[in-house]
Amino acid sequence: MSSSASAIVVERLCKRYGTLLAVDDVSFAVTKGELFAFLGPNGAGKTTTVEVIETSRAATSGRVLVLGMDVAQRKSEIVRRIGVLPQGFSSFDRLTVRETLHYYARVFGSRVDINALMDLTDLRGKADAQFKTLSGGLKQRVGIAAALVNDPEVVFLDEPTTGLDPHARREVWEALKGLKARGKTIFLTTHYMEEAEILADTVAIIAKGRIAAIGSPASLTEMHADHLRLTLRMGPAESDAEGRGDGDGQRRAVAPEVVRMLGFHPTAAPDGAICVPIDSAEDVHRILAKLHAAGVGVRDIDVRKPNLEEVFLKLTGEPEVATVNGAGGRAT
Amino acid sequence: MTPRIVTATLAVRVRSFYRERSTVFFTLAFPVILVLVFGTIFTRPEHLNFDLPVQDNSRSSLSAGLLAGLVQGDAFSITHVPTDVDATAYAREHKLTLLLVIPGELGVPQVAGAPGGDGDTPPAVLAPLTCIFDPSSTSVNTKIQLLEVVVARINQELAGVPPVFTLTPVSILPDRYRFIEFFVPGIIAMAIMTSSLSNALNMNAELRQKGIIRKLATTPVTQADWLVSSILYQLILGALSTAVILLVAYVAFDVRLRLDAWLPIIVALEIVTFVGIGMLLTPFAREAESASAVTNAFLFPMMFLSGTFFPVEMMPGFLQAFAKVLPLYYVNEALRAAMIFADGTGALRSVGIIAAFAVAAFVAGTRKTRWGGEEGA
Repeated sequence: MSSSASAIVVERLCKRYGTLLAVDDVSFAVTKGELFAFLGPNGAGKTTTVEVIETSRAATSGRVLVLGMDVAQRKSEIVRRIGVLPQGFSSFDRLTVRETLHYYARVFGSRVDINALMDLTDLRGKADAQFKTLSGGLKQRVGIAAALVNDPEVVFLDEPTTGLDPHARREVWEALKGLKARGKTIFLTTHYMEEAEILADTVAIIAKGRIAAIGSPASLTEMHADHLRLTLRMGPAESDAEGRGDGDGQRRAVAPEVVRMLGFHPTAAPDGAICVPIDSAEDVHRILAKLHAAGVGVRDIDVRKPNLEEVFLKLTGEPEVATVNGAGGRAT
Repeated sequence: MTPRIVTATLAVRVRSFYRERSTVFFTLAFPVILVLVFGTIFTRPEHLNFDLPVQDNSRSSLSAGLLAGLVQGDAFSITHVPTDVDATAYAREHKLTLLLVIPGELGVPQVAGAPGGDGDTPPAVLAPLTCIFDPSSTSVNTKIQLLEVVVARINQELAGVPPVFTLTPVSILPDRYRFIEFFVPGIIAMAIMTSSLSNALNMNAELRQKGIIRKLATTPVTQADWLVSSILYQLILGALSTAVILLVAYVAFDVRLRLDAWLPIIVALEIVTFVGIGMLLTPFAREAESASAVTNAFLFPMMFLSGTFFPVEMMPGFLQAFAKVLPLYYVNEALRAAMIFADGTGALRSVGIIAAFAVAAFVAGTRKTRWGGEEGA
């Protein structure tokens, strides 16, 4: 953990509220210029950790360095060099977008070009609209712009897309990619796995106050997710499956047995499909060939690579995590 | 504290103020409406004039003289009631609060000292007047008293003897003093208390509820910056509100109060006191909705018990004692001492007490509120 290459270093951080140990011996480092995604279920100690790093909350023990400065000692210096979008960002209702950004710029004593900032976050058309009249996505973008008024080296974004529709979410993602392209270090807190998978260089998963896993999205899925997942839906490829004879239905019923004989462990999905954990694409061929030989028609197949969400669920044991598209491969 | 941040924050507050119409109304228009309403109700013309229905059963030169005496000096305006009706029934039927009945047979008045008076027996009453009144009327006693005074004067004039004692009332005040002069300083004190307390409380609750404090806590804005700008903002509002109230009172009711250095000093101390109390009450008002309930629970007793609308002397003893622990009582005392009585010593004494309140509330308030709060996980 060389501090010159690290924007943030967290060493053995603990935070206690009464008898509750919200953050329990957490250590990690964020490299300059990367997009670091910090994931965890609600109540896992995510926001507490972030607030300690942002200097707005004091640690019980441990050491946190931001840009090489200790948060406990050099708060005011750190505050000037970071930008924060707090969770559920809101601002003064009656101020326009331009006035809001102007206020935050003045507070930092910054001579930032407000127009350029509004261009970056695509707010130019709403410059003179009062904050209270803006949609959720626009408000978030004002928050992101407000986090950038002091040209910060590290930008903290706490759940920037929570509560946004998919379109607004993608707009925020574009803004984040733009920031990363400008060399900012971005610390993103989210509970959308897809968001982390698409944007992050490094992902850390926190559960019950401890870091459960840390690494690139690819290495985490490789390390923690078990297998490829093959989903099979039986039946002839032609439509009108109902009109078929009983013989076909019986053949369909033997499908799990056929798969099991090949040494796999199929499970039945509620809609009648069969899920099979497999190791390679070769396995798909073997299974399909065997089913064909047994006379079982396969209507549809789906091979899903293991994703971050599965890793997350495995590590946190939290089934009720939100997914971006609602349905998206909920593992059981 | 950074002046750049204080002025930027102040500008935000002022902008938000004039863009929010309801705040403008409650800060500026509401006290003005109170002044206009109470001023209209309680500001009477210089000469009191009551309607007096009279049933004159005698219709003699003596009763005519009595009636002439009653209307003299514009004390009463006489209306005649028919003589063929029962006076009590008539008064009830027509909802008259007071009805004067002159009997049909009147004796001839004797000139004092003239022969014919029997030295041993008191002279018989020659003209026994009756007045029928409705005891449920709040103003009827005043009317009866006035009637007695006027009748006594007429008696004395008819007797032809110059009065032994005369009485001239002399006010302790340099200028004339009506209810409205008493009322206007109270309204100034009330308006400033209301806006200081509720703005401090509502703004803090709103900032917290909407998470603006979380954002500010990650900027160089400190709590001291925020507090100083809040007080400056209240000073601007206070000056504006005081000026509007004084102007309206002058234009509408010709209220001329003494305006000197005491007024801004008292107003400034009052603002610091109530902004501090507002911060103290913040923990009880986590949400903007409960903030207004907490504000009202605190404001209304303060308003009614501190002599805003009527003098504290009118209240029973234990309430008077209670009033004397309320900061607003001393604000009212100080403002009246300075603006009405031109009593520098009295104003100074009250100002000293308000200053103590201000320091205590401010220190306690700043210690109580903490940004970025440790209380929530």
